[in-house]
Amino acid sequence: MRLPIPWVTTAARLVLGGVLIAAGALKIGNPSDSVLAVKAYQLLPDTIAVTVGYALPILEIVVGVLLVVGLLTRVAAVIAALLMLAFVLGIGWAWANGLRIDCGCFGGGGQLGAGQEPAYLLDILRDFGLALLGAWTVRFPPGRLALDGALGLGGDGAYDSADDLADDDHAEDQR
Amino acid sequence: MSKGERTTATRGAREKIREQQAAARARDKRKRVITYVAAGAVAVAAVWAGYWYGVSRSDSEDATGGLAPVAIQADGSVVMAQSGVDKPVLDVYEDFQCPACKEAERVSGQTIKNLAAEGKAKVVYHPITIFSQEPTRSNSLRAGNAARCLTDGKQWVAFHDLLYQNQPSETEEGFTNSQLLEWGKKAGVTDPGFEQCVTSGKHVQAQQAYSQKIMDAQKLNHTPTLKLNGTEVDNSVVFSPSELRDAVTKAAK
Repeated sequence: MRLPIPWVTTAARLVLGGVLIAAGALKIGNPSDSVLAVKAYQLLPDTIAVTVGYALPILEIVVGVLLVVGLLTRVAAVIAALLMLAFVLGIGWAWANGLRIDCGCFGGGGQLGAGQEPAYLLDILRDFGLALLGAWTVRFPPGRLALDGALGLGGDGAYDSADDLADDDHAEDQR
Repeated sequence: MSKGERTTATRGAREKIREQQAAARARDKRKRVITYVAAGAVAVAAVWAGYWYGVSRSDSEDATGGLAPVAIQADGSVVMAQSGVDKPVLDVYEDFQCPACKEAERVSGQTIKNLAAEGKAKVVYHPITIFSQEPTRSNSLRAGNAARCLTDGKQWVAFHDLLYQNQPSETEEGFTNSQLLEWGKKAGVTDPGFEQCVTSGKHVQAQQAYSQKIMDAQKLNHTPTLKLNGTEVDNSVVFSPSELRDAVTKAAK
């Protein structure tokens, strides 16, 4: 039976990785903005918020690139899915506590301009959807067009050939 | 060859093939682990390098010397410069309640003070109120009023720094009069009129009028806004002490 599962994984990887790269790239030029965005959530102590603010954009880009090229797919997908879940929790927290901030998801300092309304529900749905894509990729790595596959690093390709070998052994024994 | 011998021979050959396969699998596995670890190490190094670059770009300066003389102007702006230094002019438009201003102060505040102390710039602080919503608007107005109650330049700078260090969240009432009085005392205020000035909100109207005037005249889109000889300094420079220093030093030539 030939399911298109590997291709679905490829699509999930490209979407999730692409979004992460875009999100990181828009923030990385101005790390202070991203520090502010993290602080705007009032969720972390200031010193940790500063660290997270500086580290987050670059982490997003690196994980995004890994997903797009399909290298260390499973590990990258786990990190990406956890990141997305953390974002969902963070935005939910801001919403529940009545903070009026923009999510800072794609740059921006996390502060709303005059007359702007927060769009928490949309942000949460989007990030949750992306977390699901991450979960899919964790379950079915690495998909087609992945470096992992080409290098024989885990994922369907490598496992399949290992299974084939094992199957051959069994077959021989039974003869 | 008997049937038994033949079977043994086949077994031996099979065993050999299996060993070879096992060896090949072990090799493969080793290769896989090495590649995985190498790729992982590169990824971690990239994250670390990027983080380090971001942090070092916004590495704050230490206080190098004393403070340049500070003079409070009649309109509420504050000039910090060595005597005789009148250019380049670095205008700082800020709101004590604005988180980005707090962050800019944390990252580049010391550089601005150093530049003034070194005689490389005439720094002019313009505390304004940009918020139209509560509670941020009232917080900002109370802080702005209190700053206007100060008469001594050195104390003003100390008070300015205390305001940022203790900036309240944007969702709650802060900069209360009792806090402002306490920080005034910390900043060295002894003037008996200070308390009355703070609690009565003596300069609130002046603060509002000045803010309106500044925002209309300077067409500010956000705080903090830094202007160097009247030209807005890009935010990425504002938040990078070394780049800010370069920009100001270049403008001095």
